[in-house]
Amino acid sequence: MTYINRRGFLGLTGAVAAGAALTACAGSGSGGSSSGDSKTINFWSNHPGTSTDVEKELIKRFEAKFPDLKVNLIDGGKNYEEVSQKFNAALSGGDVPDVVVLSDVWWFNYALIGAIEPLDDHFAAAGVNTADYVDSLVSDYVFNGKHYALPYARSTPLFYYNKQVWSQAGLPDRGPSSWQEFDQWGPELQRVVGDGKLAHGWGNAKDYLAWTFEGPIWTFGGSYSDKWNLKFNDEKTIAAGNFLRDMIHTKKYAAVSNSIATDFGAGILASTIASTGDLSGITKNAKFDFGTAFLPAADGTPGCPTGGAGLAIPAKISDERKLNALKFIDFITNTENTAYFSQNVGYMPVRKSAVDDPSEKDYLAKNPRSKVAIDQLPRTRSQDYARVFVPGGDQIIGTGLEQIALQNADVTSTFANVSGQLQQIIDRQITPKLPK
Amino acid sequence: MTALGYGAMVCVLILVGLPLYWIVVTSFKERPDIYVQPSVWWPHSFHPENYATATSTVPFWIFLRNSLIITSIISAVKFALGVFSAYGLVFLRFPGKNIVFLAIIAALMVPNQITVISNYALIAQLGWRNTFQGIIVPLCGVAFGTFLMRNHFLSLPAEVIEAARMDGARSWRLLTRVVLPMSGPTMVAFGIITVVNEWNEYLWPFLMTDDSSVAPLPVGLSILQNTENPSVTNWGPVMAGTVLAMLPILVVFLLLQRHMIKGLTSGAVKG
Repeated sequence: MTYINRRGFLGLTGAVAAGAALTACAGSGSGGSSSGDSKTINFWSNHPGTSTDVEKELIKRFEAKFPDLKVNLIDGGKNYEEVSQKFNAALSGGDVPDVVVLSDVWWFNYALIGAIEPLDDHFAAAGVNTADYVDSLVSDYVFNGKHYALPYARSTPLFYYNKQVWSQAGLPDRGPSSWQEFDQWGPELQRVVGDGKLAHGWGNAKDYLAWTFEGPIWTFGGSYSDKWNLKFNDEKTIAAGNFLRDMIHTKKYAAVSNSIATDFGAGILASTIASTGDLSGITKNAKFDFGTAFLPAADGTPGCPTGGAGLAIPAKISDERKLNALKFIDFITNTENTAYFSQNVGYMPVRKSAVDDPSEKDYLAKNPRSKVAIDQLPRTRSQDYARVFVPGGDQIIGTGLEQIALQNADVTSTFANVSGQLQQIIDRQITPKLPK
Repeated sequence: MTALGYGAMVCVLILVGLPLYWIVVTSFKERPDIYVQPSVWWPHSFHPENYATATSTVPFWIFLRNSLIITSIISAVKFALGVFSAYGLVFLRFPGKNIVFLAIIAALMVPNQITVISNYALIAQLGWRNTFQGIIVPLCGVAFGTFLMRNHFLSLPAEVIEAARMDGARSWRLLTRVVLPMSGPTMVAFGIITVVNEWNEYLWPFLMTDDSSVAPLPVGLSILQNTENPSVTNWGPVMAGTVLAMLPILVVFLLLQRHMIKGLTSGAVKG
């Protein structure tokens, strides 16, 4: 038998320790220009609305039209946060994708640091006509006069209501025309649903409370911000916060729910504000007749934010790859394909011409609930910078609203705290990078 | 006192058992039984098709194979590194031993998320993205195992070690014939912790993989979910996939548990 002496064993142990140290602390590196096969388009997606099969079909159509190009559909994670996390890691080194799904709260961070490409200079070469995109959706991606993404899986919140409960409460078969009207309906709805159920449910911070409550704040004349100027101390914004607090803690007909769309579909909530992307799930789950309506707002007042995700192109890939990537984006969001995506997934078509597409007309005639989202588009407005452009803004605002809703926190001081946190981020992370 | 003990056991059983029960039962439910109020504690009709859906909607068996490869290699490497480095720190004399141990403790204090970006950059530069080695190598750092095994080795009776040395046992023999046989329970505990951790590892494999060829189960099964719009998710197949993902670990645990108990009951020195 071969013996290992102490020196030999020390050597072995030393080698093992060195190996362990090396594997534990890999060195950092920064990626330069990312090289890749210019004929292969790597598409990183979280498959919004469980759209894997739909995306594969869109890719098949693209490859049929452009036989010299190949598209790899790569799983970017199970939500917008994960695909952004993966993209963020890729920026540190190695190959970035050609096309990446970035949500309303993520694209700006990458535009600000120059990680994604302004697309305008490539529009002509790729044959992109932005005029056909829905104005409010395409303008969401404009920063410093340039488009940094194009709309893809776009949604708005909708007001969902249980028609059975509405009927029992003697209410008209429609959504409330204003939040003040709903405030009158709330106690009666609560009486009908009884204990253990609620007339209205708000999502928690993770379920995009900052998004679903943005519309109501606008209808009160308030906002989270006016461009980079925070508005949490504005009396109208505070009035909206107090409205949320009162409906939950004084009139007791609403509360924060852990999963609004699921709870509405199960009949626990008589009404809620949830994404158009939830429509297909709620339709499958609900054992009762339900309606969808515009978010309450006086005529002419935008009371509804846009949301969802767009498609962006990393800045550090070659111009040829950028051009092919833009061709791909343009193709999968063209009239026919955005209609196909919308009908099969539940998000909104992003082209104006899609409403004239025969298949879309037929679909909307058979699915009036989906039509509500499209009809509501003229009443939408791009979101406040505080939520979508400030890193972490969505969760900071959502957590503040959660404190009001769950802990009956004082609105003025809670909003002041939220404002302080956001202002610090703006001053440190955004203002120094903004174009002078 | 006995009643208190049993009471605590029942509480723990409920806390651990109830979610497990819910996962298993939901894996046999049809969609209407899942999205309903009040909750259905026993399915109206069993729906084993969820298991077929879970294994056919995604390439489940490829994910399972990948998980087995990744977990077994990382666990074996971590185990070897942990045992060897702990042995070196306890039984070998060399300068700077305490500094090495402090460095290991320091490594324990650094969350994995901190090293993700630098690891990613290195692995990408090596061209190892979407490969097994790209997933495995950065996860082989073993600070916890070294710490655990070192503390255990320090607790071994000094007289047994001394007797072995007097009998002429050198480093390798001392390790394999004396130290390891007395370390059964700790090694099994270390093994179980390592296997479970690696089996459930999500963040790093998720960042490293682009397709099903190397993706492990936790990454693969997330395709069945949609956390953007949770109401769209059909939780039956998701829970079925979760049950199938838990089974191999459960088997490993049951197999190793016997050795753990055996190790605990066997004495190193006979009187």
